[in-house]
Amino acid sequence: MFQHMSMVSGADIGATSNLVMRIGTDARLYDYPEDADIGLLLDSRYDSENIEAVKRLLALISKGSDVSDFFPQVVKKLACQTLELKKLVYLYLLHYAEKRPNEALLSINCFQKDLSDPNPLIRACALRTLAGIRLHTIAPISLMALTKCAKDPSPYVRKCAAIALPKLDDLRQEENVSTLEELAGLLLSDHSPSVIGAAAAAYNSVCPHNLSLIGKNFRRLCEALPDVDEWGQIILVEILLRYTVARHGLVQESIMGSLLGSKVDHFTDNTERIQGNDGDFTTSDVCSNKSNLLFLRSYIEGSNEYFPRTNILSTNNDRLDLDSYTDSENKDIKLLLQCTSPLLWSQNSAVILAASSVHWIMASREDVKKIVKPLLFLLRSCCPSKYVVLCNIQVFSKAMPYLFAPYYEDFFVSSVDSYQIRYLKLQILSLIATDSSISYIILEFQDYIKDIDRRFAADTVAAIGLCAEKIPSVANSCLKGLLALIRDESSASHSIPHGDASILVSAIKSIKTIVGQNPSSHEKVIVQLARSLDAINYPLARVFIIWMVGEYCSIGQIIRKSMHIILKYLVRSFTSEEIETKHQIINASIKVALGADEEDMPLFKKILMYLLHLAKYDSNYDLRDRAHFMEKLLVSITNSCPEEDISCSSSNKKLSHEVNYIFSGKFHSKSYQSDRYKVYLPGSLSQIVLHAAPGYKSFPMPCSLHDLNQTQGKYSDSASVLSDDDSDTFSGSSDEKSDYSSNNSNAVSSGMFDSMDNVQNATEASQLIILDAGDDTTKIGQGASSLSTDLEELMSKTSLESWLEEQPSFSGPSSFSAQGFERQASIRISLKEIAVSVKSKVHRLFEPTDGNGLRVDFSFSAETSKISPVLVCVELSFENLSAETLTKLAIKDTDENMVTASQTYQSQESSQIKNMTVPNIFPFEEIPLLNPYQKVKKILQVQFRHHILPIKLVLLCCDKKYPVKLQPDIGYFVKPISLDLKTFKNKEVELSGVYEYTRSCIFTSHIEKLDHDDNNPVSGDKILAVCRKLASKVLSSANVFFVSVDMPVSAKVDDTSGLCLRFSGEILSTMKVCLITITTEGGYSEPLNLHVKVNCEETVFGLNLLNKMVAFLSEK
Amino acid sequence: MLQCIFLISDSGEVILEKQLKGQGHRVDRSICSWFWDHYVSQGCDLSKLLPVIASPTHYLFHVFRGGIVFLGCTQVEMSPLMAIEFLCRVADILSDYLGGLNEDLMKDNFVIVYQLLDEMIDSGFPLTTEPNILRELITPPSIVSKMLSVVTGKSSNVSNTLPNATASCVPWRTTDIKYKSNEVYINLVEEIDVTISSDGNLVKCEVYGEIQVKSSLPGFPDMNMTFTNPSILNDVRFHPCIRLRQWESSQALSFVPPDGQFKLMSYRIKKLKDIPIYVKPQFSSSGGNCRMNVFAGIRNDPGRAIESVVIEFDLPPHIAVNELTCNLGTVNILVNKVCTWSIGRMPKDKSPCLSGTLVLNPGVKRLRVFPVFRIGFKIMGIALSHLQVDMLNIKNTGSSTPYKGFKAQTSAGDYQVRS
Repeated sequence: MFQHMSMVSGADIGATSNLVMRIGTDARLYDYPEDADIGLLLDSRYDSENIEAVKRLLALISKGSDVSDFFPQVVKKLACQTLELKKLVYLYLLHYAEKRPNEALLSINCFQKDLSDPNPLIRACALRTLAGIRLHTIAPISLMALTKCAKDPSPYVRKCAAIALPKLDDLRQEENVSTLEELAGLLLSDHSPSVIGAAAAAYNSVCPHNLSLIGKNFRRLCEALPDVDEWGQIILVEILLRYTVARHGLVQESIMGSLLGSKVDHFTDNTERIQGNDGDFTTSDVCSNKSNLLFLRSYIEGSNEYFPRTNILSTNNDRLDLDSYTDSENKDIKLLLQCTSPLLWSQNSAVILAASSVHWIMASREDVKKIVKPLLFLLRSCCPSKYVVLCNIQVFSKAMPYLFAPYYEDFFVSSVDSYQIRYLKLQILSLIATDSSISYIILEFQDYIKDIDRRFAADTVAAIGLCAEKIPSVANSCLKGLLALIRDESSASHSIPHGDASILVSAIKSIKTIVGQNPSSHEKVIVQLARSLDAINYPLARVFIIWMVGEYCSIGQIIRKSMHIILKYLVRSFTSEEIETKHQIINASIKVALGADEEDMPLFKKILMYLLHLAKYDSNYDLRDRAHFMEKLLVSITNSCPEEDISCSSSNKKLSHEVNYIFSGKFHSKSYQSDRYKVYLPGSLSQIVLHAAPGYKSFPMPCSLHDLNQTQGKYSDSASVLSDDDSDTFSGSSDEKSDYSSNNSNAVSSGMFDSMDNVQNATEASQLIILDAGDDTTKIGQGASSLSTDLEELMSKTSLESWLEEQPSFSGPSSFSAQGFERQASIRISLKEIAVSVKSKVHRLFEPTDGNGLRVDFSFSAETSKISPVLVCVELSFENLSAETLTKLAIKDTDENMVTASQTYQSQESSQIKNMTVPNIFPFEEIPLLNPYQKVKKILQVQFRHHILPIKLVLLCCDKKYPVKLQPDIGYFVKPISLDLKTFKNKEVELSGVYEYTRSCIFTSHIEKLDHDDNNPVSGDKILAVCRKLASKVLSSANVFFVSVDMPVSAKVDDTSGLCLRFSGEILSTMKVCLITITTEGGYSEPLNLHVKVNCEETVFGLNLLNKMVAFLSEK
Repeated sequence: MLQCIFLISDSGEVILEKQLKGQGHRVDRSICSWFWDHYVSQGCDLSKLLPVIASPTHYLFHVFRGGIVFLGCTQVEMSPLMAIEFLCRVADILSDYLGGLNEDLMKDNFVIVYQLLDEMIDSGFPLTTEPNILRELITPPSIVSKMLSVVTGKSSNVSNTLPNATASCVPWRTTDIKYKSNEVYINLVEEIDVTISSDGNLVKCEVYGEIQVKSSLPGFPDMNMTFTNPSILNDVRFHPCIRLRQWESSQALSFVPPDGQFKLMSYRIKKLKDIPIYVKPQFSSSGGNCRMNVFAGIRNDPGRAIESVVIEFDLPPHIAVNELTCNLGTVNILVNKVCTWSIGRMPKDKSPCLSGTLVLNPGVKRLRVFPVFRIGFKIMGIALSHLQVDMLNIKNTGSSTPYKGFKAQTSAGDYQVRS
């Protein structure tokens, strides 16, 4: 409020004495930055003129113009002594250093000098700027400066050094990683709290998985926590929490621990205790138990949000066992809780939320209550943070409604709240309502219905429905209120033709939910609603009422009796109805006809037939189709009664049975309320945007960190082990996902085999939608396909994400490079997957018809020879197809070859001797015996003299010689060389121009694969499938390393354009690097246009390799 | 971590940008126009826009203050509250430096804004946000410095030395402050939030208060403050200078104060019963007309004058004509259908009344949507929560005893009456 006052006064003064205010400011420079010759000013001897020049440049920068042309001139000014000028120059320099790397190097000397300045401020500034330049060329210098400053006597400089660590880490230089980690460790153990905060941030970006580093300092870090600056606290708290989870697991007494299935007795203990405290809350507490397990799982495994969590629950309940729990007496956990509780009084809302999440995860169920009041107090802070806090409270109250239940008044809506905040508050209120508070809440809701924001009023009506569903004791009074509201609204909607009917619709929806709980007792309500049909002319509202009429047509006498009238009314109005209402009328009349008494049956049948007849001539084709379909389906009912007609064919009987089943209302469509199950760590960005943001890390597996007493020297080892573990669990979970999706598709496809089932399936699918109309989706008119496409989208997204390791799709390629670290991990996964599918092509070396029934096949092996780099490994498989035993099988070099080899040996110069000393082949030991139908595999190491011409060899078998030709495969003249993307790109630039060869071809083999998997509804998976197919094809044609894949993220789902796969290899004989890049174009369902590019220093080899690749890829 | 901060004026113009990351993490300016288009498409106030937005390329956090949008961008996971809190802090500091926040002030002092941002955040992580240290690193513009720069043509606002406080364990206070005056002012600033439901019941009545301290004490003073009735405090948040152990054990505030003005603590007191002002709206509609009466008056006399009373409400939709008159003060109806009734000082002897007839749109028989009345006022010299400072001890201030001043004021916070 102080702000507010000063702001007003500022504005007033600004208005009255604008002129006075602007005197002496830089207004002139901002408004007219170019009214002086900046170059001239820069060259001036006077600092003040230099300063003015740089200020003008900054003004131009802030207006978005490019003034990098002044770079050399400005850099010269670094040598000046005025700190003001220096700082301004730093600002300029940082903005453009990347653009002008060469000139930026000129400044290094000045930095070196400033880094040893006695003034810590100057040292700090120099370090910040030097590290901020972020050029690879100066990285070693920056690293040296950083190492020095990390031991600086001034804590300010050390803090700046800690902040500079991530800047160097951004450069992603392998050789620096260990140094950076060491420095992070050093700074974490600093004695000044202000340094620790920044070091925590550095740790988070440099080596977030190296938890052993925290382990060494755990107690000290906890104790320093209250003195660390607020921003550091936010990050440090999170790190400490992560560490305790990994080290000790979760606490049994905590919310997370109490839901352990195997500890039933313990759990009941807890509920009893809670019962004692808040009498109201037993039921919701128990039912929230299941959702808590979901929470825990999402926290630890990352949220695979697109699946109904219940499936996962039932399948692998055993993965989190007792071992991952500890008790609240654990010293470390106690200390952490103790040190974070004062933070709940912080002035910084982010600190409070971070501390709250520690208590949420770790504190015992009683102690968690501590976080409630501070969190609620945050609702009095500024509007943006209020929203974030409410989002988190909503998640908390889903798991533990009783925590917030006594404080329901804090969630009452204020007229100044924005719509989102009001909506969140409504949600929370309906979650935490109890028997004792519901009456107050309903009173509030009555006020909200009168609010000017009609959208909010409609939400309130929906919330009333939720509350009534939850607390049956108020259901009747809610129902009364809602009915009155409907009367009111429907009369109003007459007077205002274009009025907003959303309130009406949600009121009817709410009634539907309430009635659905106990239909028979609300018979009159349904009749009353049906009567009001005449007054309600909004189609969606009518749809809901008609659905209810159909669904509950036989629950009581009153409704049974009035059904004639209702149906007759509906038939009369049928032609004038909207399309969705028509659908629903037909459905309702079928339900009525199916459930009717014998005496009413003829009438209802007649009505139904009449309706179907009407529908068959409707202008809407969908309705027509459906009418035809229904008629066929209902033939058993409309033509003959099954009881009477015994001759009725069995299939007909079955059909009528199915029809009864379909329309009996036993189906409950699974509504994909994915939002409800998307749970991320409290306080995270992902929780607010409801998808995993890049860089989001769920908790490490509980108790995954064991070795605490390791020595300093060992810890890098353990770190690598740890990270390996991480990636393993990750790939494990992604496997799970893909398993799930394939299961699902199997289920669908298996259903498709039987044609009878097929029909039924189709009806189910369409019926799902029809029934859904009664549920909470508002999209009625959509066909069955819409649901499945949604599902497809969801599924494909997940599989994409599992492939990319939770990289959200929208972030695009630019953020890929941001996540270089994770990216590597994702490649590892993909390689594993692809390696399975790689099948090297098998060639025939020796036909059985040529000799005595011996067949010899060969394929090139990805192994590289241990003897000499120029040798290629060939895997030979000998198979005896004859009935006789073969003996003494071997492969030898021909004499001819020997001769030529010796000749060349003589004629060649000494430089090639080394090459020549290697014989053509390294034969394997002789196979003494090959029994009939026995198969033996051997590795032969061959040196091919030429990469296209075959080599002649002799096959020995039973003392006979057979000449054979071994055709070389150029793809195996290379060996995989592992490059990261950065080096790959650098090499690519190096090998451009004449060393670059490209060709295009058409790739079709993915199509058959896709067709093959056509039952799989996953559309996005197809891009993945294309990618997989391409990769496996390349990998099976050439012995190369799969560097990376760029996924296209385009608006069009079916477009593969932009898919880019990179491979790298090294030529065996010359050790030269050879790069392959494949990009695609076109939709996945059509033949793809591939651009294959090979970068290689050896022209002939490169071209041959390219031709080979293209030939192989375009092969069907 | 934040990647970039933009300052955008309320007309969508980018005032300045501060890139925090290099190496392809630069955020293009086009994100601002995306943000602006998004805002326009939402059709709501800037202050009511969702504070965390996932744009196609970046996650955006924004805080709207004094006609300026502080926009932070990131591509990776980070604590959203941290970003928001930091942006708020930037806004606070800037308004403190420039004596307010508006587009012109920003542009006129853009160099200072750059310098401040540079000190406040480095590589996306907040560096120095303590106002006292900042004030030493970069001198706030003052009339004197402005005049000096006009006269001499040069003046530097950048300090050449590192403030001592950066190394101190009490970063909010420099060690060697010398003052001629030796005084401390304690100011209880309270806001009262009241909600009255349509049937006249008191739904909510609570006070949010801040203790603002202005200290100009030499040396390294150690203060101890107690309340007569600390038990009424429901929720508290403290400035980092407060020793929490002391509070936990004896409910006393013990601290080394920062220099100058700061917020010592904020608190909330819930479930109060006494409201100073009542407002009673009455609507009776029939036959396309609606008669409206609004009565206001003093409910529980706080003992001081209730000043600058303003009653504000949105006119309900479907109103064709309205004629509103009042017996005291003035009524204004703005273009956006907000009706403001300014009463000024609330009289004790007379009951102000606003009355009039609303003619509804043809076809609308009666009013179904009723406005919420928002009330604003100010009472000087009293804290409505009745929180009282019992005692204030100051140690370590040298020979002379410092002057201690106490003030209090209450204003309406979220004070609303539903109808």
